[in-house]
Parts: sequence; structure tokens; C-alpha cells
Amino acid sequence: MGLSIVERPTPEDEAELVAACLAGDVAAQRALFRREFGRINATIYRILGPTREVDDLVQETFIAVFRGLAKFRGDSRLSTWIDRIAVRVALDHVRTRKASSVPLGVIGDELADASIPDAQAHARDGLRRLYAALAQLSPEARTAFALYAIDGRSIAEVARLVGTTAVTAKVRIWRARRELMKRAAADPVLKELL
Amino acid sequence: MKIFVDPPQNESRRDRIERNVFAQLAQMRVAERADAAVPAQPASNRRAWMFAGLGAAVAAAVILVVSTKGEAPAPARVAEDTTPSRIVTPVGGESQFTVADAVIVAASDTSVDVKRAADGGITLVVARGAVDCDVAPRNNRPPFHVIAGDVSVEVVGTRFTVARTPSPRVDVVRGKVRVRATGGTWLLSAGDSWTPPVSGSGEQVAEQAPVSDQTPEAADPQIEIDRVQNPPTLTPTPMAPHAQYQLAQKLEATDVPRAAKMYRVVASSKDSWAAPALFGLAELEAKTNATHALADCNEYLRRFANSAQAEDVAWLRIEILRSAGRRDEARVAATEYLRQWPQGSYAGIARRIASPP
Repeated sequence: MGLSIVERPTPEDEAELVAACLAGDVAAQRALFRREFGRINATIYRILGPTREVDDLVQETFIAVFRGLAKFRGDSRLSTWIDRIAVRVALDHVRTRKASSVPLGVIGDELADASIPDAQAHARDGLRRLYAALAQLSPEARTAFALYAIDGRSIAEVARLVGTTAVTAKVRIWRARRELMKRAAADPVLKELL
Repeated sequence: MKIFVDPPQNESRRDRIERNVFAQLAQMRVAERADAAVPAQPASNRRAWMFAGLGAAVAAAVILVVSTKGEAPAPARVAEDTTPSRIVTPVGGESQFTVADAVIVAASDTSVDVKRAADGGITLVVARGAVDCDVAPRNNRPPFHVIAGDVSVEVVGTRFTVARTPSPRVDVVRGKVRVRATGGTWLLSAGDSWTPPVSGSGEQVAEQAPVSDQTPEAADPQIEIDRVQNPPTLTPTPMAPHAQYQLAQKLEATDVPRAAKMYRVVASSKDSWAAPALFGLAELEAKTNATHALADCNEYLRRFANSAQAEDVAWLRIEILRSAGRRDEARVAATEYLRQWPQGSYAGIARRIASPP
């Protein structure tokens, strides 16, 4: 039986953790890394899709986090501050068109495997088409849509993370959705996924 | 619209990224210290020169340790041994180095000696400070020990921290280690921490129980430790709302009734995930039961009228009514939507729906 226990740290916990990290406490730094890794990994993966760059960008995010930790003032939750860095790193990457078009199957165990069931292969194909379609959008629309529809953030959160108003975020998501639906009309696999 | 994309969950991948991050950070700090150690202007008095020279020497020694490392080390494959016999890190700094298959991070203000035995065995002697060790399981490998004062730690595998100052302490992140100290031997597993028993105080040492050195298997120290140290960890804990929400999303593809049930549990709570769960439930039920889905939407708009997704729910309500052929009600709903969000994302199409036939 698998149990998932998610504990939300209090601001006091966070302040202590940040202070310990800044004091050079390696155990605290590693604890912070491990606490935040899952969410940051998921967010960057969901913005970029399964490409080789995900690992590098997760790494880049954490380096920016630890290098910039002294600038964290506690105005927001630590996780929000870290999320903003992750989104900025991913968005910068998409903007500079460093994102490769390497399709699914390059991360971990997802390498092409003839033994995987058809359903999984079908799902992967759908995902590949989704990210191919997202790649046609503007970096801002792509990021806003991915955060909202794939990463499950609210519009207010999306707005905060990408540094815009809720109305602008909503419009970007709406436009992205409209474009995707247009593409899906001619692509049954993508349509099924949406 | 919600699309489920499951990111890769791979512990070895996470460990590799973690190693890379901390190796890069250590390199950056060393480079910065080296830069800082070079005086921009020649110092005018002899004492200042002495300190600058000392700083540069320390920085150079640390650079020697780190710069020969090359790529971030992976414990299972590290071949190059970059270990000097003594590593000293300055206050506020840290240093990473490799010893055979082990990756060691010496914390701020640490002094550690590395000794090798004829059989290839490795012993780290921590004079002060703390070391974080990532060591491969020792199955057929030479033994690996860390000594911190009276405390000796033998590695069974694989990752742990030993601190000598301010007080001896062992934290095991992964695998198992055996701690020998005055008063007995302790076998620690992942998540266990050890500090020396308080002698003569009469205080119960609850963190760990000593085990017999001769019959560790019979004593089953891991169970003993868990029983004494932390019984609540063995008690099943209800799944957190966030986790339930995510599971419900996953179940949508395979088990709709269970997904709906799980969404409802979260939606009925007062957790911050209640609103997304109710939205998820409404979208899910929109495919199968319009009446239930409309009730979900109405509940959402009543409970979470000011939430970020209220507009989306209001639009979903219109779509459900249209799909069910309830055009008049859809028209009224579209009018209500426009009243609340005249410039909303769906305003254009809502106007068309709201206009008289």
C-alpha cells in the first residue's frame, strides 16, 4: 500500500530552513533540494515536455535558488518564490528556442521499447503531438497554458508565476486552448488527449 | 481542460541532479573564494599580505581538491581518486571530493583526514566539523569507516552524515550504517539519527537502541529502532488532499466512479484543494451525468465565487446546458456569465448564446 504524506511547512519552518541553508548547512540545503525537487521537476517537465533539457533546467533552477536564497525576503512562500524561478528558467529556455524537438522517449525508462503495451505507445504519441502543437504557440502562451491545463495551477497562480495580470494570463490560456482545439480538429490522437 | 502529464519519477535521476547541483555550487564558491583571495590593490602593510597569502593558499588547496574532479561525480562510476590526505574547509565554505567510489562533502569549518589500509579499506577521521558521505553499498567492496572522536561509523551503504562538532551526530539518508561508540553498537537505517547516549542523567535515550555486535540479525536492530524511536511512522496516515486530488486525476482514465468519489472527498473538505477538486468533479460528471455536473457547478459558484477558476466553471455550466439541449437555460446562464465577466475569456461566444434566437 502506498501512502503519500504531504506536509505543508509553516513560515517559521521555512525561515529556519532558509537560515540554515544560508549558514552553509549542507544537510539543510539537501533537505531543501529534496523537498522541492518533485514539484520543480514536474513543473518544468510539464512546460517543456519530454526533452533532454529538462534535467539541465531543473539543475539550473536549483543553482539559481541556492545562489539567490539571500535575496528571499519571505514576502511569499518559499515554494512560490522557487516556482517563479523555475518558470523563469523554463520560459527563458523556450524564448531562446533552445528547446529541442526531441520527442518522447529520451528520459529515464521511456526509451522506445517494443514490449510496451499499445495503450502506452498511444498515450506517448498523444503527448508528443501535444508538445509539438504547444511548440507552435508563443512562449508566453505555451507556458501559461502548460501551467494551467497541465500543471494544474489556478489562473491567479499562473499570473503570479509568469509576472502578469490574471486577465492577461487568462487570455493567453484561452488563445492557446483555441489553437490547440483547431489543431485537434484535424488530429484525432491529439483530440483524444484533449 | 485538464491534461494529465506524469513527469518521470526516478530516484537515481534525482540523485544525479542533486550531485550535479551541489558539485556546481561548490565549484562556484571555490572560484569566488579564489577571486576574493587575490587582492585588487597591493596591501601596504606586511600583516595584510600575510593574510592575503594565507587566504590564497587555502583557496588554492581547495581548488586543487575540486578542480581535478571534472564532471560531477557519480558514486557508482567514479574512477578518479582526487583525495589529498587532509581536507580543511574554511568557515562558510564546503568542499566536495571523491575517495574511490565515495563522494564526500566536507561542511563549513571541517578538518578531515583520509587514511587507506592495505586491503583498500578507507577511513575518514573527522577532527572537527561534519562530512556528508555518499557511498556505494559495501557488499564486496573494501570497508569504509568514519571516525569522529570516540564514535566509529562503519558503512553498510549508502548515504549518511557524520558530525563531530558541535556534538557527535550521525544522520542516515539512505541505506544502513553501523555506529560504534561508548555504550554499544547501533545499526541505523535510512531516516535514523544518532547522538551519544546521555550517561548518568537518568534520561531515557529514545532515538536508538543499542544492538548486540555479535548477533545483529537476531536482534533485528532496525525494527528495534523503529519501535523505540518513532512509532507514529508505522501508523497509516490518511492521504493528503493534494495527493488525493492527483490520484483522482490519474483515475479519471481508468476508474471514473473511484475518481469521482475521491474528488468528492477532497471537494467536501476545507482544504485549498477543495475548489480544484470540485471543478474536476464537475468536468468528470459532465461527460456522464449532466444533472450531477450542473449541481457541482452550482455548488462551486456558491462556495468559491471569487476563485480564479469560477469563470471557467460558469462557462462549463453553459456548455453542459447546451450539450443537454437545454437551450433556454443555457441562454440565461450565458447572460449571467456576461453580467459577471463582461470582458471574460468566453465573452464573445457567450454573447452569441445569450442573444435571442
